[in-house]
This record gives sequence, C-alpha cells and structure tokens, in this order.
Amino acid sequence: MAGLELLSDQGYRLDGRKATELRKVQARMGVFAQADGSAYLEQGNTKALAVVYGPHEMRGSRSRTLHDRAVINCQYSMATFSTAERKRRPHGDRKSTEMSLHLKQTFEAAVMTQLYPRSQIDIYVKILQSDGGNYSVCVNAATLAVIDAGIPMRDYVCACTVGFVDETPLADLCYAEESGGVSSLALALLPRGGQIALLQMDARLHQDHLETLIEAAMTACKGVSKVLDQVVRQHLEEVSMLTGE
Amino acid sequence: MKETPLSNCERDFLLKAIEEKKRLDGRQTYDYRKIKIKFGTDYGCCFVDLGLTRVMAQVSGELVAPKESRPNEGIMFFNIELSPMAAPTFEQGRQSELSVKLNRQLERCLRNSKCIDTESLCVVSGEKVWQIRVDVHMLNHDGNLMDAASIAAITALCHFRRPDVSIQGDEVTVYSPEERDPIPLSIYHMPISVSFSFFQQGTYLLVDPCEREERVMDGLLMIAMNKHREICSIQSSGGIMLLKEQVMRCSKIASVKVSEITELVVKALENDKKARKAGEKCGFAESLPQERITALKVGKTPVEVMDVTEQANDIVQKAESCSLTVHTRVPSPLVPVPGVGQVGQGQQTTWGLEEEEEEEEEEEEVDEEEESDNSSEQDKKVTKMEEEDSRGDVVEISDSEEEEVVILHPETADKALKNTGSSFHQKGAAPSKQKRKK
Amino acid sequence: MATVKVSEAEKVYILHGIRDDLRVDGRGCEDYRHVEIETDVVSNTDGSAKVTLGYTAVLVGIKADIGKPKPMVPNEGYLEFFVDCSANATPEFEGRGGEELGTELSNTLYKVFNNKHSVDLKSLCISAGEHCWVLYVDVLLLQCDGNLYDAISIAIKAALFNTKIPRVHISADEEGGKEIELSDDPYDCMRLDVENVPCIVTLCKVGHRHVVDVTLQEKACSVASLIISVTHKGTITCTRKVGGGSLDPESIFEMTEAGKRVGKALHAPLMALLQQEESLGKKRQKVGFLG
Repeated sequence: MAGLELLSDQGYRLDGRKATELRKVQARMGVFAQADGSAYLEQGNTKALAVVYGPHEMRGSRSRTLHDRAVINCQYSMATFSTAERKRRPHGDRKSTEMSLHLKQTFEAAVMTQLYPRSQIDIYVKILQSDGGNYSVCVNAATLAVIDAGIPMRDYVCACTVGFVDETPLADLCYAEESGGVSSLALALLPRGGQIALLQMDARLHQDHLETLIEAAMTACKGVSKVLDQVVRQHLEEVSMLTGE
Repeated sequence: MKETPLSNCERDFLLKAIEEKKRLDGRQTYDYRKIKIKFGTDYGCCFVDLGLTRVMAQVSGELVAPKESRPNEGIMFFNIELSPMAAPTFEQGRQSELSVKLNRQLERCLRNSKCIDTESLCVVSGEKVWQIRVDVHMLNHDGNLMDAASIAAITALCHFRRPDVSIQGDEVTVYSPEERDPIPLSIYHMPISVSFSFFQQGTYLLVDPCEREERVMDGLLMIAMNKHREICSIQSSGGIMLLKEQVMRCSKIASVKVSEITELVVKALENDKKARKAGEKCGFAESLPQERITALKVGKTPVEVMDVTEQANDIVQKAESCSLTVHTRVPSPLVPVPGVGQVGQGQQTTWGLEEEEEEEEEEEEVDEEEESDNSSEQDKKVTKMEEEDSRGDVVEISDSEEEEVVILHPETADKALKNTGSSFHQKGAAPSKQKRKK
Repeated sequence: MATVKVSEAEKVYILHGIRDDLRVDGRGCEDYRHVEIETDVVSNTDGSAKVTLGYTAVLVGIKADIGKPKPMVPNEGYLEFFVDCSANATPEFEGRGGEELGTELSNTLYKVFNNKHSVDLKSLCISAGEHCWVLYVDVLLLQCDGNLYDAISIAIKAALFNTKIPRVHISADEEGGKEIELSDDPYDCMRLDVENVPCIVTLCKVGHRHVVDVTLQEKACSVASLIISVTHKGTITCTRKVGGGSLDPESIFEMTEAGKRVGKALHAPLMALLQQEESLGKKRQKVGFLG
C-alpha cells in the first residue's frame, strides 16, 4: 500500500481503532416536528439527517401506484458543504441518483409495504458531513426515521462498510481508509434473520476472501443494530415519560 | 412509451416454469444463452449477441488535459446508451433508473477494478493524456443487458488500438496508422459481469435471465469477476433479501462462467487478429456483400445431444402422431435449403453439464466450417443458410450443443418439410402454431 | 411544508386576533418566536450555524476558497450564495421542486449581504487583481414554518461571525512570481467583522396591521409582505416587497418604522449571544441535532 499504512503492526488503524471496532454511533429520533418521522445519526464524523413522510396518497403521476403495496420513494442528497471540496449541487448527479436507488431497494426489502397498498412513503436523507460510509450512515439514520414514523418493518436495517487490508477485515471505514484504495464492501442486513438487503462491493478481492469479509460485515451490522435498538428504547422511554404513561 | 404490463397468466406461467426448473428457451438454470462476438472494421468496435440481446461497444481515444487531482493518469469514460431502438420503453435522452444502474455498474466493473493501466495513457504529465471513451449502445433488449455490455466493453477495450505518439521537446506528434502501428491498451485483467436473478423470495436462482424472466424476478445479483477468481464488484438490486450462503454459491458459479466467457473472448480476439493479418475481410462490412440484413437473423435453437440416438428414436415415434419438428430459421430473402430439420424449443431438456468439452468440439467445428467457407465460394450461395453463423471472426458459445443437425427419420423429415414450407413466412411464432394446428 | 391550507373561519379568527394584538400562539404583533442558535456545528466548514425559529430550521455552512477577484473590483473578495431547499423540509421540494424558491432566496441574499457596507469585502482580498477569498455561503433549509428570510439572515450572520479564514503569507520568489502560503495553525486565522452585517426583518400585512415572524397560517392570511434588512444602528440597507398584493405608501412607511425598531432590538441580543458562545471556547458542549 503506497503512502498510508492503514493497519499498523500493532493492529491499530489510522484513527486508533482496532480492526473490528466501529466508530462512535450517536443518534436521536424525532428531530423535526413537521415530518412524520425523522432521525439524526452520527457515525464518527459522518452525519446524516433522515426524514420520512407518509404513508400518504400518491403524489404526482398516479401511474406509479402499486395496487398491492406502497411505493417507496427515496432521495439522497449531500449538503454542498458536507465534503472537503465544495460540491456544486446537492443531488442529481449519477452517484447520488444511484445512492437513492440503493436506499429505495434496501427499504423495499425491509418495510412491510404490503400493508399500505396504493400509497407512497417518502424517505429523504441528507448528508450534513461526510467522512466515509455515507451509504451505511444513511441507511441507519433512515431506519430510525422509519421507526419514528411508526411504519412497520421486518427488522432493523443496519448497514456497515468493511474493508480488507493485509488479510484483515476492517469494520466501518472512514474516508481516509475508503479513499486509500481498500477493497470495500457495503452491506445492509436485517440482523435477526441474517438476510442481506443490499450488497455492494468495489475493487478487487479474491473469491476466497469473500466469505470472511461478509462475515465481518455481518458482525459489524449486528453491532450497529444493538446501538440502534438502544436509541429506540431510550426514545420510547422519554416519550412515554412526557406523555405520562 | 409505457411498458406493456405482463398479464397475470403469463406471470404465473413463467413462475411455475421456473419452479419446475424449466426455462422458456429450454436452458438449464445455470446456462448462458449463446454468446457471439463480432468485430467492426475499425479497431475498438465490438458487437456482442447474448441470445437475442445485442449490444455494440465502440472505444475511441482523444488527447485531453488530465484531471487536476491525477495529473499523470489517463481518463476512462464509460457511457451506456439505452436507445429506443433496443426496446420501445427506453426513452431517448432521459436518465432512467435502469441507465443509471447500468452505467454505474459498468464504471465500477471496469474503472474501479483498475483493469486498465491508466498511467500508460499519460503523454505529457499534467498537460496531455489519453481519454479513452467507451460507448455501449444497446441494439436489442432481451434481458441481461449488463452482462452483454460488460463483455462488449472489455472486448472492445482489448481490441482497441490507439495511435502512437512521440514527444520531442515540447512537441507532441500523433502518428496516423499508416505511419506507425497503433498501440493496444495495456489491460491487466478482464472483469466480466455475471447476473443472477432470484425468484420467489430468493428460492429459485437463474443465470442470465432473459427479458421475460427479468420481468417476473424479485431481484438481481451482479457479480463481476476476472479469470483469476478476483471479484471486481458485487451489486445486488431489487428488493430481495439474500442469505450469505446464496451469495457464496453465486460467486462460485460466477467464477466458472467467467472463465468460460474469458476463454471465448480471447479466442474471438485471436481469430480476429488472424483474419486481419491474413488480410481477409473482417468486421461488420464483411456481412454486407451477402445482402442479408443481419439484425433480423435468429440463431439456431440450442439442442441437447447427450443421448441423441435414444431421444431421436423417441421423438420419431412420437412424431408419427404429432410432428414436433421445428424449423427455427427466420426466413431470409434467399430460398432456404430444404431438409434442415431441428428438434425445437418445445422439447423436454435433460442435458448435462459437460460444458467445456462440448465447447471445444463446437469451436473445432466452427473452424472446419470456416475452411469450407473459404474453399467453396461457389457452393456458398446454396449453403449460406447453414453457414451464416460461422464467419471467420465469429465465435459462438453455448452451454449446450447446437451445431449438430438432427435429421430425423425420412418420413418425418418430409413432414417437417411440408410444415415448414407452408408456414415459412411466419417468423419465430411458427413452431408453436404448428403444434396447435396438429 | 411550504404552504398550508387555511379555512375561511380560521382566517377570520387569525385576522381578529391580530387586530387585537394577540396572535394564535399568544405573541404580540412585534414578537419573535423562540430562537435557538448554535454555531460551529459542521466541522468541515470554515464557519457554520444552525438556527431554529419556531419550527423553521436552517443550517448555514461557509467555506472559504481562493479565487480571482472580479475585474470591476480588483481589491475585494466576494460572497457566493446557494440556498438548498431540500426535500427534508417538504416533499414538494423533491427533485427540482425547490429550485425556484432557492433561486429567489439566494438572489435576495446577494442583494442584502454581498456589498461592502455589510461585509468588509476588502479584508477578503489577498493580492489585488489576482487572488481573493471567496466565501461560499450555503444555506440548507431543513424545515420551514414561515419567515425563512429572517431565519436565514440570522443564521448567516452567526455563521459569518463563526467563520475562521486561515491567514495567508505571500512571499515573492526570485522571478517576481507570488507564492501563497496558507497557515497550518488552526488558531492563526482571520475573523470577519460582522458588526455591520444586517438582519432581515419580514413584515407581513395581515388585515390592517402588520406582524413580524409569521407562521405559515398567518402567511396564508396575508397578501403582501415587506422584506427589510436592518443593521444594528437601525439603518435600512434593502427593502423588497414580496407577495401578490399591494401596499399603500402609508403602510409601507409604518412597516419600515416597525422593521427598524424590531431589527435594532434583534441585533443586540444576537451579538451578545454569539460573544457568549465564543467565550466558552472549547469547553462548550456541542449539541447539534442530538440535543
């Protein structure tokens, strides 16, 4: 690896984490009052806001209506100041359109859409600050927002990126690691059944290593799901205290 | 134009067939359709047929200023164009979800895997580099565009030659192909994408879905790999939930398929090289003197010949009462050669998995036919129908044997002739119609 | 939501309330809603601020970049504005839906802030005619419940106050060429003087009276409003009338007077708050969206 040493001989990474250690995850549900569901999530220095509207009547062209389930509509955008170099526009380029598609796909697998036929659920995610693992942070934030909106899901959807350096899988890559030419794998998991809602991998990796990498990603996702569960429980406690139940 | 919806009957039928491990075109679950690779007259132009799916890739090079962040690397640009020519539902000039998906996947498959040495494309650091542009045009859509596009793109890249340049002081000279031989790109490895479609919540798995199958599938998993069994990209799409075991299984199947396809691509490139060296006619132009419209051509239907004799007898017996012989050719402006009967699509298929062996056989055959092609110019007119798939730079692959022609019992053959004669001007639908008439 | 539907009965109720100087949420005609300000919320910007005004929430990030000064004013830097009406605020803004509003807002912001009376543009010049600082002010609308202009202007002022531009050292090499060197030390930075930066006060004509800081319901009852940008001294730097209705000169005069009063009263506590937050320095517990 030219330049940066991503994993030191002592087994520490650039930011001092161990190979399997996640970044600090902090989250809050119900950030905004107007939306049906909203959540804010920080994973290290990557920060994302997710907002959910719906389920509501189909907006715009009615031709997209599905008679047996709800349509999930996603938009991913990045604040123009979220990256080190200023972005010219927040959404509409190929990468963010693709990201919106991936989010849509992830939540189509997880949300019980068949409960809301002929309706639409909007999920909007905004990256406020980007430091690697944008997709996974978005998924995690959106999961909380969907829960906040009270829309039933099969399970928490947790996502995590893992990289592969020196025969060791690294969990939850930060930007420096992502851009350091590591082969990275993003995985969205429904932890209880071990089902993969989305799998995406870039760069070269020998087939024999695939299993260990997926294994590591699944463990990392399960770690994330624990944190999310805690956030939801705490939020519920707070809400029920306020409503006096 | 909006997509014509698929009727529930058809959907149920398709799913039922898949549940019974049968496919519309008689393939097995892990079979690819026939792949044909052809080249255009120019370097860097490649046509790929995958069954009825047909794509064209064209590579071009141009000298541009490099990106500021990477002053001594060439630029790769990929674009997949979904024109209404391929399917009426594709709209011109609109960034549809599908086009974003395909474009990004191709970029990931070929750029992020660093299969091309971009540093060798640098002419003057920070000032002039080659920009290699790969345009993939979809000509006909019959499912699995991604695999066809990835094969076409990488083959075209391998085939491409860029003009030679020299630097003297500050002066950069670009030589025309007459002055100096153009230079091929340096390609480290060839990533090839293999698509798997999942049905019924991931219970059933098919390789290389055709258009109909794509419309009833729940989700798709695309794995791009090279022959060294290095995965270059994985992408799941559609709202499916996979299990780890399924992914692992797919990656194993992919590695087998990729090595087969890579071999084919290499062979095709070699054939083309030989043809060009020998000064034979090559490329797209070569098909013109034959006064045939190539796009309307339908390939031979794959037929399995594992236990031909037994089955043939079987069929002959059945055919006494019900003719199952089928003529699969699409009529061409020429008078067809009589007696080319084939056991057609409706047949039950039980072929095995000795793919590689068969492939070799098949390729030998192609070579043979090639020779005959060259020697007997006179006969060509008559035999054209038979030879039409075996031009010099065309290599075919299919998991099943399809070159051998099964000539049935004389009686049935006669019958078949009559049948095909009467319904000859009906196209692909002819076989099924005949059966219904009986 | 960018717009709400209000029934006739509701309209009458709101109008009558405003006539008696009592608004639906209990405020008087010249009262603002609860305002929350936090600066330095996005760490990869040079300055940022988050402002919530009732349910309206905006986030402003400022990035400083080196650019070329405009040929007309070679010794000044300049500001660039971009307002992103994100779909987070309302589904109506999805895709290109928010662009129209975004352009309208940013055009007003150019008028109000991008002049040498508001911001000391000369201090943004590095070397005349060649290099200057360009401040990219990106406004992100997170939630709207009326009175966007005021919320955005407060956020911009706070973000400008928070902006830290690295110091530059210009050294000439032997051939007469200039070399710009940015200071690596995060504390060696230039701050902007925001004293003269105006705040926008939007006054809405509802019935026969005018109110500040309207909610969406109240906005639905008004036909026209006046945007006034006021400095801390009470000087008016820009006025604009928006909305479909008309205003007679008499009421414009009244509204300007009221705007001046409200604007002056807004600046003092805002500056005090910003100073106070600044003095806490590193000890301050960052809340962001987690609080």
